[in-house]
Amino acid sequence: MTSSEPVFKTSRQLLAERLKGTLPARCLLVDDEELRPYECDGLTAYRQLPLAVCLPENEAQVIDILRTCHQLGVPVVARGAGTGLSGGAMPHAEGVVLSLARFNRILRVDPKARLAVVQPGVRNLAVSEAAAPHGLYYAPDPSSQIACTLGGNVAENSGGVHCLKYGLTVHNVLRLRVVSVEGEVFEIGSEAPDSPGYDLLALMIGSEGMLGIVTEVTVKLVPRPELARVVMASFDEVAKAGEAVAAIIAAGIIPAGLEMMDKAATAAVEPYVKAGYDLAAAAILLCESDGTPEEVGEEIARVTEVLSAAGARELRVSQTEAERLRFWAGRKAAFPAVGRITPDYYCMDGTIPRKRLAEMLAAIVGMEEKYGLRCANVFHAGDGNLHPLIMYDAAIAGEWQRAESFGAEILELSVALGGSITGEHGVGIEKIAQMCVQYKTPELQTFHRLKTAFDERGLLNPGKAVPSLHRCAEYGRMHVHQGAIKFPELDRF
Amino acid sequence: MALDDLIGRIKTACEKATPLRIRGAGSKDFYGGLLAGELLDVSAYRGVVAYEPSELFITAKCATPLAEIEELLAARGQMLAFEPPHFARATVGGCVASGLAGPRRQQAGGVRDFVLGVKLIDGRGQALDFGGQVMKNVAGYDVSRLVAGSMGTLGLIAEVTLKVLPRPQAEKTLAFDCDEATAIVKLNQWGGQPVPVSASFWHAGRLSLRLSGAFAAVEAASRKLGGEAVVNAENLWNSVREQTHSVFAAPLLWRLALPSATPPLPLKGLSAIEWGGAQRWYAGDLPDIRAVAAGLGGHAVLYRAAESQRCREGAFAPLTPGMLALHRRIKKTFDPKGILNPGRLYAEL
Amino acid sequence: MDTRLADFVRDTPDGQEAAAILRACVHCGFCTATCPTYQLLGDELDGPRGRIYLIKQVLEGHPVSEKTRLHLDRCLTCRACETTCPSGVNYVHLLDIGRRLVDEKLPRPLAQSVLRGLLRATLPRPAIFAPAVKLGSLLRPFLPASLADKLPPESSPATRLRPPGGRHRRRMLGLAGCVQTALAPNINAAAARLLDRLGIEFFEERNAGCCGALRFHLNDLAAAKKDMCRNIDAWWPHLEAGAEAIVVTASGCAVQVRDYGRLLADDAAYADKAAKISALCRDPSDVLLAESEALSALLGAIAAKEKPRKVAFHSPCTLQHGLQIRGVIEGLLRAAGYELTPVSDAHLCCGSAGTYSLLQPALSQRLRQNKLAALHDGLPTVIATANIGCLSHLQAGSVLPVQHWIELLDEALS
Repeated sequence: MTSSEPVFKTSRQLLAERLKGTLPARCLLVDDEELRPYECDGLTAYRQLPLAVCLPENEAQVIDILRTCHQLGVPVVARGAGTGLSGGAMPHAEGVVLSLARFNRILRVDPKARLAVVQPGVRNLAVSEAAAPHGLYYAPDPSSQIACTLGGNVAENSGGVHCLKYGLTVHNVLRLRVVSVEGEVFEIGSEAPDSPGYDLLALMIGSEGMLGIVTEVTVKLVPRPELARVVMASFDEVAKAGEAVAAIIAAGIIPAGLEMMDKAATAAVEPYVKAGYDLAAAAILLCESDGTPEEVGEEIARVTEVLSAAGARELRVSQTEAERLRFWAGRKAAFPAVGRITPDYYCMDGTIPRKRLAEMLAAIVGMEEKYGLRCANVFHAGDGNLHPLIMYDAAIAGEWQRAESFGAEILELSVALGGSITGEHGVGIEKIAQMCVQYKTPELQTFHRLKTAFDERGLLNPGKAVPSLHRCAEYGRMHVHQGAIKFPELDRF
Repeated sequence: MALDDLIGRIKTACEKATPLRIRGAGSKDFYGGLLAGELLDVSAYRGVVAYEPSELFITAKCATPLAEIEELLAARGQMLAFEPPHFARATVGGCVASGLAGPRRQQAGGVRDFVLGVKLIDGRGQALDFGGQVMKNVAGYDVSRLVAGSMGTLGLIAEVTLKVLPRPQAEKTLAFDCDEATAIVKLNQWGGQPVPVSASFWHAGRLSLRLSGAFAAVEAASRKLGGEAVVNAENLWNSVREQTHSVFAAPLLWRLALPSATPPLPLKGLSAIEWGGAQRWYAGDLPDIRAVAAGLGGHAVLYRAAESQRCREGAFAPLTPGMLALHRRIKKTFDPKGILNPGRLYAEL
Repeated sequence: MDTRLADFVRDTPDGQEAAAILRACVHCGFCTATCPTYQLLGDELDGPRGRIYLIKQVLEGHPVSEKTRLHLDRCLTCRACETTCPSGVNYVHLLDIGRRLVDEKLPRPLAQSVLRGLLRATLPRPAIFAPAVKLGSLLRPFLPASLADKLPPESSPATRLRPPGGRHRRRMLGLAGCVQTALAPNINAAAARLLDRLGIEFFEERNAGCCGALRFHLNDLAAAKKDMCRNIDAWWPHLEAGAEAIVVTASGCAVQVRDYGRLLADDAAYADKAAKISALCRDPSDVLLAESEALSALLGAIAAKEKPRKVAFHSPCTLQHGLQIRGVIEGLLRAAGYELTPVSDAHLCCGSAGTYSLLQPALSQRLRQNKLAALHDGLPTVIATANIGCLSHLQAGSVLPVQHWIELLDEALS
């Protein structure tokens, strides 16, 4: 069942004929010319042309597409805005891309119940914009929030710069409407605080499109704090900044956001955003406090004290809302802004215990030398979530392979330091091999069995998120860990 | 007691298809469906494995008493933010398995929101590690949260890592005299404003509201909301959390989880409202209550009743046929022989 | 982004520029969020990132069909994506190259060519366009809606501003333009009155004409260059004689004049002059901002009204994304005593986009509908904008008057 990669084979012609029966022409793409722009998501290093792209406009069409694919045994890969960084929406060569971009309506904003019901193609930021007149907002704010969709957020359990205090997607979604691979509709969760039975909401969120297709999302809205201010602290040494992060948490403060950027990252962002970052600093920390004006004043004073004691060279507190937003704008645009100084970058997403930040950063410096590539570091420092951006040029032979090995080494070190290979971007296709490092065979088997409980034939997003045991055996053969070969119980060929 | 002992017990039971009834301290024997099977007493598997205040997590073996954990946390100014009931002797494993949270649920989130990782012994007797000790981890399906509230039917939660939070600097309780409808409206209005309400309890025409946060924030909110300040409010909140308050004494008690803004229900027997209107307690024999709750987008749990009645009517609201089938497939994933706490969640699982 | 250019284009200037732009794109997809056509159509191919990919395919030598052209044609060139792009991708330049290459590889069907040829030939010529507007007004009942929409409610006399008369020592050139002269001659007249109050003479040079944008965006680069060189020749003597700037009251034309330097960089005879002219090109708000002291004195004298007139300001794409001027004009209108109503999705295009409203009427009308709904939302009594294209496009769909903001400033001071 789970030990090898399944094989699918349906002709594009047959598939197109069947889909044409249920979809209007504007909802179906089958020519290579039109399919190529769908060959990758935000991770361009992995590309694959699908057999077809479907652009359904309503749930009935989603059900029809799934039924057709289920009958024909055709894989289905769901896609939102295609901003994902782990290749979760990379097409399957024998499959259909199911784009939910046209599900872009906000169905209901209920200020009294503090929730919004939206379609999965609604942009994350659009939810907060729709809630703003009521003094409410949707808390999880991934850096791509201007473009990324709620459906994608659900699939990846996205975080953001404020999730230390306000939680991840899993903490802020109340209900999902899901179509199963067979075309059956399930309501999971509710507007009540809990639901009978297993917590399937927790299971669905972060499942990377492997268990079902989401057609509606109900999210929690929270009151916008009266005031928010950011302290920007500069450090001469990256290690000191890392220690300052642990010191803030140890002081009993849970800031609304706690982010770190190193020199390479601030240098890339500053020309575009003009955020006013200290470009001479080895690293800067952005620490946000929100709440009532009294509360913010109190907390900023405490944070400033801790940061000074931790060796901050310079401290600046945002004086206006515009300045605060500018501080964040730089952070949120950091990934693509690095695109200004390098043709390509590879973004990592490991998490580690906060106290190991300095250790990890030192290791990355060593890896830069080892692989001959530069790396800019952007961290959700408050929750130990690293986003090293490895810079490379795909046009130079061998650079991508080196970047990939560099990334793998960071992820495997994350696991060794007691962390995880992915904090919020998902495993996708990118970290599939590192899953073999993160989990042992019995856990992986459990994941495969769970997948089967939802999708017996493995049609939803095959090849992503959970590696086949065969793949792990292959990876283990290449990669002997701590002197012991991994997965000794498996045949190797 | 060693982990291997537990694994051995479950392996043997799996081989012989012997149903097991997992029990830590038995503080929630009253809760859920059937108590069936050979007793698997895990009470000796206890102790804190790791606690790192600056990393905001604690890892403990399943039978570690909540009281012991909270004492350790309090010494470092931290807490379990979902305020689980201790029922005098409750253990952390049972706390996660039952998914019961206390008054602070409305502000902080439920049990599952604080589960970072579990070591689970499944129905095959395999020890599985899911999640971890870091705040964010999306590698693989979120099994750690799935087991919260699963009543031990997916596996024995041998070890669990929970996220902990700093205790608020200040707390203050305000009281208001108002009827049920007014209380619901007020609670939802406050819920939409940036005021640090951490708990609410309405009973017999009196609404108590707890504010928690920085000194300045609590003072500012208290000035804004008015009401009368309650002294020794800890006793009140403790009686709500531990359900020693008289409203929980009824022999037949229903717990309703509803959308918080749901107006008063057409039912008799309301004893209390919590969680900003989202959790309501009803006492007495109420044949329509499940239908009423479902019609309003919520559900009703037969929280306290004779075991025979809980088994007959089901402690938890019934699932649709499609949903039940899915639950059975998930159950089978973890427990193919169906030996773990059979009938404790649903008769069919 | 990893791009392997095909032989036919690798060593051409177009190929090299395109390759450099493509290298800057990291495929993050932020641009789709603010793209008007992606918002409407929800297809990757109708957003900037998808179009970049389509162009990349052409550059890499993949076969190209009408499908690619359709998606490139649907782009409004509003440049909202460029404002959003954190990686600094010069999207519009890439699009220009892409459109040209597609048209080269795949000549347009006859009907399309004829329509485009007609637009290239008529719109930029006031001598033909103005009478055509008059004729059109008579024929309105017989015209297709997308064209009838474009006609002004009643034709006003097309007058030219006087040549320099020596009233003030300081002088600035205005661009009479092509379409605006016929449709809304009052705009430049209002600008002249306003600048006159600031001690600046504002005049037009009759030998100058269309800025070249219309032909440029219809892919007729040669004719566009002719337009540009003619204007440079017409303006140059005035600049030598001390005119300080070229003030362009249509933001669409201003973007084009700002680009003369780049577009003529390879033209030995014109490169330097073109660069100078681009540097001297001003939006009226630039001028007013520079004269803020004198302007404050003028505006300070306006008596505060009890019930200020409510204005909804539509910032043209060419203003906010092209010239990157944001918030300035809103401030000037407030200072002149107007109350600005909130407008949601202000970054989105109104659907006018030069000849777009004529070439893509269905999409254009949907965008206008959405834009007008957003503009009407705050119950204004007048809509203000900064570009003649948006002005006439919006006016055709709204019962409220749509005016150039400079006219409102002029009114406040008269």
